[in-house]
Amino acid sequence: MNDLQNNNGKLNWKLISMTVLRIAIGWHFLYEGMLKITNPDWSAAYFLNGAVGPFASLFKGMAAHSGMLGTIDFLNEWGLVAIGMSLIIGLFSRWACLGGIVLLGLYYFANPPFIGLGGASTLEGNYLIVNKNLIELIALWVLFLFNDSKVFGIDRFFRK
Amino acid sequence: MESEKKFQISRRDTLKGLIGLPILGYFANRFYVDHKKSKSMPKVNWAEHGISEYDPDIIPSLSYSTKGDRIRVGVVGNGGRGPTIYRGLGYAEEDWAKSFVQNGSPTSLLKDFLKQDDLNIEITGVCDGYSGRAESAVKIVTTSFRAGGAPKANPPKIYPTYRDMLKDDNLDAIIILTPDHLHAAMAIDAANAGKHVYLEKPMCQTIDEARALRDVVRKTGIILQVGHQNRQQASYMKAKEMVSKNLLGPVSLIETYTNRNSNGGAWIRGIPKGANESNVNWKEFLADKPWREFDPDMYFNWQKWFEFGTGPAGNQFTHEFDGVNQVMDLGIPTTVVATGGNYYFKDPRDIPDVFNAVFHYPNKGLSLTYDCTLRNSNFRPMTFMAKEGTMEVGVTLSVFPDGMSKAYKEFSQNTDEPIFTYNPRSTGVDAVSSATARSYFESGFGYTYNKGDKIDCTYLHFKEWLSSIRDGSQPSCHVEKGFEESVTFIMANISYLEKRLVEWDAKNEKII
Repeated sequence: MNDLQNNNGKLNWKLISMTVLRIAIGWHFLYEGMLKITNPDWSAAYFLNGAVGPFASLFKGMAAHSGMLGTIDFLNEWGLVAIGMSLIIGLFSRWACLGGIVLLGLYYFANPPFIGLGGASTLEGNYLIVNKNLIELIALWVLFLFNDSKVFGIDRFFRK
Repeated sequence: MESEKKFQISRRDTLKGLIGLPILGYFANRFYVDHKKSKSMPKVNWAEHGISEYDPDIIPSLSYSTKGDRIRVGVVGNGGRGPTIYRGLGYAEEDWAKSFVQNGSPTSLLKDFLKQDDLNIEITGVCDGYSGRAESAVKIVTTSFRAGGAPKANPPKIYPTYRDMLKDDNLDAIIILTPDHLHAAMAIDAANAGKHVYLEKPMCQTIDEARALRDVVRKTGIILQVGHQNRQQASYMKAKEMVSKNLLGPVSLIETYTNRNSNGGAWIRGIPKGANESNVNWKEFLADKPWREFDPDMYFNWQKWFEFGTGPAGNQFTHEFDGVNQVMDLGIPTTVVATGGNYYFKDPRDIPDVFNAVFHYPNKGLSLTYDCTLRNSNFRPMTFMAKEGTMEVGVTLSVFPDGMSKAYKEFSQNTDEPIFTYNPRSTGVDAVSSATARSYFESGFGYTYNKGDKIDCTYLHFKEWLSSIRDGSQPSCHVEKGFEESVTFIMANISYLEKRLVEWDAKNEKII
């Protein structure tokens, strides 16, 4: 079977577009992670302290605990890098999708664009309940279900 | 033929499987170029200028020892500021403390309080003109919530007046937190009795009082600290470094503000239930003021009248002035003009609720302004306007480049981005946050920060005073600083009341 073509011989744009989406999200994750790793002054503290909404005190509590903050910084930095690389090369992509959904969920709930909260989420755009974090999260969910890395990605070699 | 086809498929398989790798390579290349470019972005090398954006343990009093003789202290007055003063000394009111206990463990402010050092003092006596407040002072002193693991204290003696307290030998020092018109007489009597004094701001109500108190402190050599606890604020210390290293160029204008929008902020503080002529020592309160009939509003909300209080200038501007004086050692202005009015609060009072004053320092080439409204609570930081940039000081400090700056020319295009930020709240990992928006740094009052720890400035101010008593050194807000503070705000009040520009005759120490 030729994965690039449909049964009628036309290019399989559905599959190609899924792969492009996967790589684009991977690129974004990888850049976010690498930027944080290469900036020695970066810490999640500012982001956590700026939390608003129903879980604000939970996120602020994380920032207040210096030992916990170090762990959060480490997991966030390397989590972003691992997920990003995994999505680009298509290795363990389904796990990466799940990991990305968890991280984006945390970012979303730390600063949710709910009515009346205001906050930093409105700095570069206008959002109501749905913001870019949520859309990226949903895109990862779609990718998780379609699992295109079994075709275009290293996961192909582990195909049973 | 069959085997060749198989080979072709497996080669295609490989290509499809590895499709992400060239993209990863491309990412690596782009990231490297981007990273190199951002590294070469200009940034002021502050280390070269001898100043750091991260500076833990900048506050000297943090490390002062509390060892040595146990100092016996009497506390005069227990009004609105009372409970805060007692917390600074290491005694937390039970109700306050319990409001911060959750599931049996302390939270937030109580946790910070308990971390304070035991100041190694004993409160031997208290007094207040209203017996209810004297009794509540005893309750606070015998609290089970003590800072630094100190044991529960013995109840202090209640004295009818401060004079009775001073007569007692069982006392080394007194803390005065009474209405402004009583400050000078109490402090002078204490100094003459050889007791050290912590005196709430403003130091005095008149120039004569300020001169008399200064002279008696000089003569007796007692240790006097004026209650401007912002002397312990880390950001002010950093601001002083910034100015003294001449990193801002000449400062031409300093702006200070008080904005409040509440009844409490306008000194409407209520009258305690049960307070009446029988349990209030009205005569003692009036002191040398002309006799009048008992007026509970006047007794409990004395700040509203110039006769007993000192208006916005004495109540609030003195804190701002002392902050500026700490940073730049301005001293007393040459001339002052002030104006304002009582526009909004129609209850009995004679102090203004909108007040503006300009303090001129021709020899230093600058003016200091103060603007106060009690009908708007928008926060504006103390602002130093200099040739090379603008420095905003609150709990944090930011320096913004001037659009015409020569020293920071590379940054002068972007005057909204600070080139220097000092945030003592930071734990270090996030100390340098050059691209942080101006609005991020809000002010706070009463607390300073060190390595992420929140510390009560009043506590540190007491710690410094007690340390000075033990080793004979002068505290940061000694009587000479208090003299400058008092003369400066009194000039503003006279200008306001007499509607004229007033001048300071430094030689004869008189307002003309």
